[in-house]
Amino acid sequence: MDLAVVTQAALITIIGAIGVTIFGIVFGLFYKGIDRKLSAHMQGRIGPPLKQPFLDVIKLFTKENIVPENAISWIFNLVPLIGLVTTISILLYLPIAGFDPLLYNKGDLILILYLLIIPSLSMVIGGFSSGSPYTTIGAQREMATMIAYEFPLAIIIISIAWKLSIDGVSNVFSLSSIIAAPIWSTVGPLGFIGFIILLLSLIIVTPAELSKIPFDSPEAETEIAGGILAEYSGRNLAMFYLTDGVKTIVMASLIVALFFPYNLSPLLGLESYFAFSIDIIFYLIKVFLVILFSVTLIRVAIARLKIDQIVYTYWVPLTLLSLVGLICIMWDQTIMTNFGLEPLFEMIGLI
Amino acid sequence: MSIFESLLNTFETGSGFWNPIVWLVVILIVFLIIHILRGFGNKNYKVDTEQTKPFLSGNPEYSKEKMHIKGSNLYWGFTESLKWIFDNLNKMHTGNTSDYVLWFVIIISVLFLVVGLI
Repeated sequence: MDLAVVTQAALITIIGAIGVTIFGIVFGLFYKGIDRKLSAHMQGRIGPPLKQPFLDVIKLFTKENIVPENAISWIFNLVPLIGLVTTISILLYLPIAGFDPLLYNKGDLILILYLLIIPSLSMVIGGFSSGSPYTTIGAQREMATMIAYEFPLAIIIISIAWKLSIDGVSNVFSLSSIIAAPIWSTVGPLGFIGFIILLLSLIIVTPAELSKIPFDSPEAETEIAGGILAEYSGRNLAMFYLTDGVKTIVMASLIVALFFPYNLSPLLGLESYFAFSIDIIFYLIKVFLVILFSVTLIRVAIARLKIDQIVYTYWVPLTLLSLVGLICIMWDQTIMTNFGLEPLFEMIGLI
Repeated sequence: MSIFESLLNTFETGSGFWNPIVWLVVILIVFLIIHILRGFGNKNYKVDTEQTKPFLSGNPEYSKEKMHIKGSNLYWGFTESLKWIFDNLNKMHTGNTSDYVLWFVIIISVLFLVVGLI
């Protein structure tokens, strides 16, 4: 391997990592501000200003960083950092602002799924290491929630990969392959319904990934005083706060990449910097819409579920829903391919 | 191929791929940035004061043994919501060998049917 190529790749990785860190933190907090403002308006309140999350982080940085006497201090201090660092690293494997992922040939969707577990696990470890009954209960609930939502999430990802593999796409778990062959263009009407169902399932999985109402029982401020985060304060809490913001961008970008990977510039016939600007703005709008539907609307509309209700929701109705989506896509492949649309319309008397 | 070059290669399983070295480099860079950012925060607190006692909504803290949450409670929400499955599974586990042999025969016959039909 040429040394110049390695140096160039290393430079791109370093600059990309710095850029993505700044992007993730700034836009994570910005979208958090929008989410808070919108949910306030939905509840008939004025709500905080858009810059409130930035002010919150600054305030947390000035507060004391208390380590409880029962805590295992090195783990207690380390896990908030690990959670944030891993979440930011996922952004490098996701297509952002209409560009291919920076590390498109260095990691795939399976890697992203595994990396998504680490921030939640770091919160669990932080909860157990805090040495307080509230945090232990919160950590225990987070573990049950994680087991719950991973099942439908796996079905969704496998369904998409299976469909791509049937269509003869190579590297079905590669995100650049997925965005190059948007799923909607490869299916018939039944498959279209199947993908709508899978999208709906992923939108319901998202609030649990982000520990938002109605799936926020691991934190549950009114019940277990913040649960996992009960003993965290100051800059450690700020790290978890930032992780939440960045993870929101990660989940929204993942949904955009899987289901809405389209760009506006080819449609408008734009090139060069105009194309980049339009695509970046279009991506930010798509992320906003995903956050609006999967986070803001759901958390305003529904009250908090109990932990056993969360597990039931994911393991029974949502898993079944995802399987129905998968079956629709499979039938689309067999019924529609074998019979086509015309015989089907004839069969139901439309022609 | 030198060891250095083989380490730089991406692992491929046929359907999935990832490069651990690149991921580690990324983690290291982001860790440095975040560590510096975290360094701007206040790191002080009052050691050995009321401040470091666990928050229990004003309730007294009992001995560690009494406050401890047992391993059997770890998966509570999970076992509670799927109780109907576990209860049925418990009923099947009668401890009677002839029952287990019967299950074995039933499942083998179903498997033969499935394999034979397909």
